[in-house]
Parts: sequence; C-alpha cells; structure tokens
Amino acid sequence: MITLDHVTKLYGSVIGVNDVTVELGAGAHGLLGPNGAGKTTFLGLVTGQLRPTLGRVRVFGEPPFGHPRVLARIGYCPAADLLDRTTTPREWVRYLVRLAGFSAVAATTRADHALEQVGLTAAARRPLATLSKGMRQRAKLAGSIAHDPDLVVLDEPFNGLDPVARHDLVALVRGWATTRSLIVASHLLHEVEALDASLAVILGGRLVASGAAGEIRGLVDALPGEVTIRCAEPRRLAELAFRIGGVEGVRIDGDSVIVATHRPVAFVEEAAVRALDEGLHLAEIVPADRSLEGIFGHLVRLHRGVKA
Amino acid sequence: MSGERVELPAAVWAVAGFQLARLVTWPRLAMAAVGVAFPAGVMLAAGRAARGGLPSDVQVALLYALIPEAVCMLGLLVTMCPAVADELERGTWAHVATRPHGRRALLVGTWLAAVLWTGTVAIAATGLALAVAEVERPMAVGAMFAALVVLSCAGRAALFALPAVVLPKRALVASVGVALVVEYLAGTIPALVNQATVSLRLRSLLVHWMGWKRKLPTEMQLFIDPQPAWLHVLAVAVLTTVLLTVAIFILDRRQFPPSDEV
Repeated sequence: MITLDHVTKLYGSVIGVNDVTVELGAGAHGLLGPNGAGKTTFLGLVTGQLRPTLGRVRVFGEPPFGHPRVLARIGYCPAADLLDRTTTPREWVRYLVRLAGFSAVAATTRADHALEQVGLTAAARRPLATLSKGMRQRAKLAGSIAHDPDLVVLDEPFNGLDPVARHDLVALVRGWATTRSLIVASHLLHEVEALDASLAVILGGRLVASGAAGEIRGLVDALPGEVTIRCAEPRRLAELAFRIGGVEGVRIDGDSVIVATHRPVAFVEEAAVRALDEGLHLAEIVPADRSLEGIFGHLVRLHRGVKA
Repeated sequence: MSGERVELPAAVWAVAGFQLARLVTWPRLAMAAVGVAFPAGVMLAAGRAARGGLPSDVQVALLYALIPEAVCMLGLLVTMCPAVADELERGTWAHVATRPHGRRALLVGTWLAAVLWTGTVAIAATGLALAVAEVERPMAVGAMFAALVVLSCAGRAALFALPAVVLPKRALVASVGVALVVEYLAGTIPALVNQATVSLRLRSLLVHWMGWKRKLPTEMQLFIDPQPAWLHVLAVAVLTTVLLTVAIFILDRRQFPPSDEV
C-alpha cells in the first residue's frame, strides 16, 4: 500500500526524514517518535503535501504528490488545531467533502453521517471557536473520513485531549482500523499500542525500529534503565556499583555516577544499603530514566549497533 | 459512491462559497461599506469644490480613477492576496492540499470569490457615485463602468494570484509592488510591455466607449491602444487565463514545511 524507498526530505539544510526505507501493507500502523522526530514530514510525504528530495514514495502504486487519483483515496487529519473559528463543524466537513469532488447534496449527507460517527451531531452547528479542543479534534477526524477514503492518516490525533476524550477517540479510531487502512502518528507508545497497530519508530528523521507492537514493547522493556547517583566520591561509588549484580554499564559525569541496569529498583535499594555500610554519602538518587526520550535514545543506539 | 463525484468544478464552487462566507464578518462588511461610499463622497466633495460643478467628462474620468482603479485594487488586495497565507495561518492548508484538486480549487475558487466580492462592492459604489454625480447618460456610463469593473477585477485578481502563491507570507506587500510596477509603471510605458497590462486595456476601453479618442491631445494618445473594444476584452481574458495558469502551475508544486503552518 505504501512504499518509501531510500526517501530523504530536506528543508534547505535541515533534514526532515533521512534515508527512510519502509513498506507498509494494508492495516493499522503506528508511527512513534518524539516531537521533531520527522513524523509530520513522513506523513506529509505519504499524503502528497511534500515531494521527496531523494528516493521514491508510492501510495497505492503511484506517487501521491500531484496525483488526484491517489489523494482521493486518502483522508488526512493534521496535528495543527483548526483556527477557522467562525466556521461550524458541519460547514467545515461539508467543505472538505466538496473539495474531494462531491456534489453539494452528497457532501451534506456525508458530512452529517461523519459527524454522527464521531459523536458531534449535537454541536455540529456551533462555531468552532465555541467548542472544546476535543470537539474540534472530532470535527477534524470527521473531515478525514467523510469522503470514505481507503487510507486514513492521523497526526497526533489525541494530542491535548483530556483522558475521557482520549479514551473515546482511541475507541473510535480503533473501530475505523477494521474497515480501512490507518496510520496514526503519536509520541505516546501506549496510545498507538491501544490501536492494535504495527509500529514504526522514527527519530531524528530516521526509522530506528519497526515491527509488531509486542516486538517494540519487548524491545523497550529489554532496554536498561539509567540511575543517576550524585556523590562526593564518584570513583568509589562506581567501583561499588560494579559489584552489584545486573549492572550493564557505569560512567562518571562530574560528581554523578550513571548506572545502566535492567533492574533499577533493586539496584537503588542495594546501592543505598552498601553505600551506608562503606561510609559513602549519597547526595541524590535520580530514578531510572524511562522517559520517552530515554527510550528513543536507547533505540537509536541499538539502531547504530552500539550496546547500551 | 464514486458516481457522486463531479470533481474540479464542484471543488471550485465549494471554495468560492466558503471564501465568500468567510468574508461575511462585521469588519469586512464595514470595509465594503467604506468602499461603496468612498467614491460618492469624493464626487460630492469634488463637485462642491469646483464652482459650477465639474464637466461630465471630468466626472467620468474621476470615477474611473476611483472605481475600476482604486476600489477594485484595494478590494482585490484584501481578498486575493491572502489566498494561501490565510490557509497556512488558520491551519487549514494541510486539509486543502491533501484533497484531490484542493490546490487548484483553492486558487481558482478564491479568485472567483475575490472577483464576486470586489466586483459587487465596486458596482454598488458606481451606482451610488452616479446617483450623486451629474454625468450625461448615467445609465450608459453605469453599464460601461460595470464592464470595466468586471474586467479590472478578473485581470487584477489573476495578477495578485502570483504573489499569493510565490510569496504567501509577504503577498500583500509584493502585490502592492506588482500593482505599482506592472500596472502603473509598465502599463503607462508606450511600448510592447504595456500590451500585457490590464490598465492599458481599461484605459483604452474607457476612451473608446466614451468616444474621447478625437478629444485626446496627441501626447495622451500614446497611453491608449486604438484597437477595437472586443480585442481589449479578449486581451484581458487571455491575460487572466495565462496568469491563473502560471499561478496554478506554481501552487501545484509548492511545498510548505510543517513549521510554516500556523
């Protein structure tokens, strides 16, 4: 369905995506990466907004940029909020359907149906400015499916939503994946996991990992966490850390010792007791870095063949 | 479902309707009201300033400067120039650009909306100005101005489509520059270059339809083209088509990095 063959996209001297090769078949796919990783550029290439600087992009067998036949089969929901505040969701969705080439009557029917699907019928005639962020997000989602595309591409569809709205929209989008192909970009692993999608991880414009959700989760879970301990005698603390089991690596950074371990909680407990026994005064213990940036950092190192 | 599709024309009408609906706001309506009233105000002031009133031909010349030139130009600057910039600022560009004919429909639809909105304001301004002026054969003059307004709006909206797609974020400034350099500088150079300007065609049509050719001093004849009226109308139509085609060609190939949006 989607093929990117050694695709690079440059914005002047800035790299958007860097030598990405990937093939995505029909079904649901998650595109995971932190902000600025290149997700939106990737989606821009797939949805025909951008043309690759190098390489080849094919969607349904054709380059999407400048091909109305391909674009007619794609529904795109960008990450940016709708700032067209005086327009109502019904007017907005109807407009998008008409832009897809449908008659006024067909557009009205389709817009009403799509708004009903996303649960926005009651607020369909209120200006966008008076709606909550979640409601505007639903209006955008309705616009992406109203023309009945074969492929729906959603960029950070759950961004800025409260937990209830997020839960509702995840359920809604998961339902769509049963009838059409879907690409969802997000910086939150659990959101994409909830969609039962296969995953591709992008960072710094590069595709650093791809596979089934379980495989990526396994990869993430297998990554060692980093514990940072600040101490007046970092060399002695580093020696002590090496004597504790399960430690993958130790490095000293100023008065801090950074320990990579698969069992950070047990390590912290044991290190604290041993430090006390050996008369080492620990100034600060920062728990394992399981933040997304940390995980992505590890994935990049794995991608480059560097052991964590 | 695909049988429901009527493709590009539906999309163009959709954009035109949507853009016109966007224009119906109190600030825009107030600007339109100023555009309607301003030429009549100037005509009244000029009539009072001239003892015994202005001659009919002078009033028509003044109306020409005020309506097909000033009102149309200003109206088109605010309606046509932001064709792409507005979409980038409102976060709607990505929605439009990913529709099958979105880019073309956006440009042609906005052009149509700009012509309809500005043309309506300018024709209303003509009616009001003629009501307060004392020109001979006001109905005929009114009909002539309606034709000049339509040609002015169509041609110049197409001209402003170029800065709108080339320099979307500086389109207003670039369009003022284009208007001054192309329409008012190149348009008054009696050489081949002025043949490709709307202003030469409008001036020539005004002189032709008012029957002023024989009254014009020889040096002023340099600033008009003595060809028949139908040829000037055809020239504006060709110019409009060429300019819009070039603008569509450029917009079809434009790429905006995600950071350019909103």
